[in-house]
Amino acid sequence: MGKVRDGDLDKLGLLFERYKRPLYGFFYGMNKDQELSDDLVQNTFFRILKYRHLFRGEGDFKTWMFHIARNVSHDHFRKTKIKVKEAVEKWEDRLGHNENQAMDMQLADEHQMLAIAMEKLSDEKREILLLSKYQEKKYKEIGEILGCTEGAVKVKVFRALQELKAVYQQLERRM
Amino acid sequence: MDKNKIEELVAKYNEGLADPAEIFTLEQLIEEGQVDLTQLRELKALDDRMVAVDHGSPSLSTDDQFYAMLASEKKKQVGFSFQWPSWNILAPRLALASLTLILGFAAGFWLKSPNQVSEVSALTQEVSDLKEMMMLSLLEKESASDRLRAVSLTGEMGNVSANVTDALFKTLNNDPSVNVRLAALEALVPFASQGSVREGLIRSIASQDSPIIQLNLAELMAALQEKKSVSELQKLVDSNQTPREIKEKIKKSIEVLI
Repeated sequence: MGKVRDGDLDKLGLLFERYKRPLYGFFYGMNKDQELSDDLVQNTFFRILKYRHLFRGEGDFKTWMFHIARNVSHDHFRKTKIKVKEAVEKWEDRLGHNENQAMDMQLADEHQMLAIAMEKLSDEKREILLLSKYQEKKYKEIGEILGCTEGAVKVKVFRALQELKAVYQQLERRM
Repeated sequence: MDKNKIEELVAKYNEGLADPAEIFTLEQLIEEGQVDLTQLRELKALDDRMVAVDHGSPSLSTDDQFYAMLASEKKKQVGFSFQWPSWNILAPRLALASLTLILGFAAGFWLKSPNQVSEVSALTQEVSDLKEMMMLSLLEKESASDRLRAVSLTGEMGNVSANVTDALFKTLNNDPSVNVRLAALEALVPFASQGSVREGLIRSIASQDSPIIQLNLAELMAALQEKKSVSELQKLVDSNQTPREIKEKIKKSIEVLI
């Protein structure tokens, strides 16, 4: 990224090829919308290109990229206001509303059920689990993205996994 | 909390028997780094399954759009390629440039020998000699413009030798072109403070047949307050060759001098 910042734009093509999948996975994990995730990947790299001079080269590129990706995602939902904030404690209510959906998934495999369970989580919890996945458990770097300590990130991941487990088990019982 | 108790707590959690207070303690231990998330069996299994889920990859149109955007940015960069280099690159270069400059000045200061001063003045003298030679050879040319150039060269010389003033007098008294003679007279004015030059100018009055030169000489004598020139000027007034208007003007100059 340092070379991109200093004018060698061809190197951004290499970064795009290397990171487009995890970035897309992060967005898709958040919104379950292929087209929107495509757009957000595009927007993220647009911002990387536009603000390349701000890359200080101290941390790694991936951390910086996910930092921008979060902002892109938040900006999108702030603008479109299509995302309805969901109270973390009320996921069980939502399970009730989506009972039919859960029942339809009787034949779905574990991954599908896990994807449904992920959808039941709050944005914050889903985001921390996706960052943990795509940042390959580098909690210190995730802390830099979220602006908190490594220990705090671990606790957030622990709580999110606990809730995911609870939702998952509930889904299993319903099937 | 000692190691055994931590292990007991982890084991209890893995069995699904931990109460809320124990889970809270566990959170604290996780935050402090005493318990690793991988030790929590069920959560790790769930996490592993989540990691294994493939969310796919962006569509080909995303690739196309990205490369089109990159190409357009590169085009812009070619159009206007200047951009401030980052401080990381600029700082060492600036430091090196400043150091080289300072070293250059220091080297110049310390390596300067006293001979250099005399060498510079010797060079100046050589250049002056060359100009003098050039002027003398140009004065010999047939072309009036070459001789004019020769005369004007004296303006670029600081101190001139007797050779130069002699050559200028020779031109003033003998050159066939009035313009060249007039230029020679003007070239001699800056040296009029020298006694020999003033005397040469007075002597020159008698040898001038051009009214314009006569008039200029008379005015110069008046300006210099050169009383010795009165007799020579009077000769011009008395001469039948001198035009009447010139005689009148010379008379005025004589009046100033007397």
